Amino acid sequence: MSEAGVIHDIGYQRYSGPRLGRLALQQALYVHGLRSAFGLGRSAKAKIFPWLVFGIMLLVAVIVAAVRAVGGESILSYTSFADQMSFLIIFFVAIVAPQLVSRDLRAGTLPLYFSRPLRAADYVSAKYAAMVSAIWLLLGVPQFVMFLGAAFTTEDGFKGVWNEIGDLLPGWGYSLLWALMFAGISLLIASFTGKQAFAAGGIVAVMLMTTPIVGVLASLPNTTANSLAGLASPVFLIAGVGEWLRGTGGMELDLGRFGPIYGIEAVCLIAACLLLLLARYRKVASL
Amino acid sequence: MSTVAMITARGLFGRRRALLLLPLPLLLIGLAAICRAYGVSPDMWGNAVIYSLGLAVVLPVVALIVGTGVLGSEIDDGTIVHILTKPLPRRDIILAKYAVAASVTAVVSAVPLFVAGILAGSVKLGAALAAASVVGALAYSALFLLFSLLSRRPVLLGLVYILVWEGLLGNFVSGTKSLSVGQYVVTIADKISPTNILASSVGLTTAIVMSAIFTILGTLAAINRLGSFSLAGETS
Repeated sequence: MSEAGVIHDIGYQRYSGPRLGRLALQQALYVHGLRSAFGLGRSAKAKIFPWLVFGIMLLVAVIVAAVRAVGGESILSYTSFADQMSFLIIFFVAIVAPQLVSRDLRAGTLPLYFSRPLRAADYVSAKYAAMVSAIWLLLGVPQFVMFLGAAFTTEDGFKGVWNEIGDLLPGWGYSLLWALMFAGISLLIASFTGKQAFAAGGIVAVMLMTTPIVGVLASLPNTTANSLAGLASPVFLIAGVGEWLRGTGGMELDLGRFGPIYGIEAVCLIAACLLLLLARYRKVASL
Repeated sequence: MSTVAMITARGLFGRRRALLLLPLPLLLIGLAAICRAYGVSPDMWGNAVIYSLGLAVVLPVVALIVGTGVLGSEIDDGTIVHILTKPLPRRDIILAKYAVAASVTAVVSAVPLFVAGILAGSVKLGAALAAASVVGALAYSALFLLFSLLSRRPVLLGLVYILVWEGLLGNFVSGTKSLSVGQYVVTIADKISPTNILASSVGLTTAIVMSAIFTILGTLAAINRLGSFSLAGETS
């Protein structure tokens, strides 16, 4: 009965089926993260806040689409939709990021996760991907509603729809930029505390307190400082990148010749957030 | 009662947690000092620093973190049981916690605003801002203390109030202004020391009366809620 190398065999059945690797673990974490971002699979109370935000965004999109259908005039373009909704996006990341990472710290599930073949990089990438998807859905679905409203009421036939698609795709790309940036920053802040309340407060504090810095820098008597003002705040940084890539922008930012700097900082900031997250979970992983 | 206040204060400032409250006031003073050093006219930067950062962010966010931290974190941890089982009237528990929350918020927000006010104009402006932010701290703390008894997610509820009610709706729907603490604070500061920096939108009497109503009703409702507080087992 007893095999070599086994001290006690008390007769439990061995698992001999296929072992799913790191990819499956990552996928499972991603799906779980995306579901819990919207409170799916959890109590009704956990659904209130994410769906409140999503509902408001959808309502605004429906109003914009309706105005477009009746008056034929676009009051909000796809890209300025994200800019106008920045408060709600900040609120949404303050709900979701603590949900994704702080709960794991609080409930002590991290040692369980890392006792599997899961590495820190897998954990971070799964959570980051889930967060990016959640923010992108939050922006992309209302934008799609706006697109439907515009496409069904266009008077130019197929050409009009094609033009709308041409407007929608950059809008979706811009939303992805928002998602990449906000997911990185908010996950990083949330990963430092197990208390969801503190994490949410910290995220909002960082996002909100950086915005007035832009206003201050923009009022300094120095054109270089004015052009670089947007670098101080994530919201304006994204707007600056959008402006640089498209040539025009919704927010009154005067980039001057510093457009590429906005692009470089955006990429560096996202990369830095991910690296810091990795470094932060290195330590937990080796516990 | 003083013991409850002491324990609450220790819970807020214990270990290095107090350091988390430092960056916001320091940023406020730092920005004001930079602008002053560059010799920019206060009309240019005053609104961004004093209103957009000081009154619209530092005051409510500090009040939110502190106001929900004094009671909400104890409910979250379950240590509220230890206080509730002591032979203390629940009124005293709320009053002690409210006193700690309001005074900490008042100090953390009024001091940097006072300094920023001096840098932006005169001592009178600084004093006006400090007085207004003390009133704001009283009203906000009562509100957020109540939130931590109404919901298991007081911070998110408070954020709905700050971001959606005062931030988003305040820009589009002017009716919400008469029901937002932020506007009362601006009005009080503006009426004590009129400048171009702040633009008040409600009357002074309304502001003072409504702040008092927020404070008193919030505290009374919190006492009432804690009186019938039941311990729930599982968090969702």
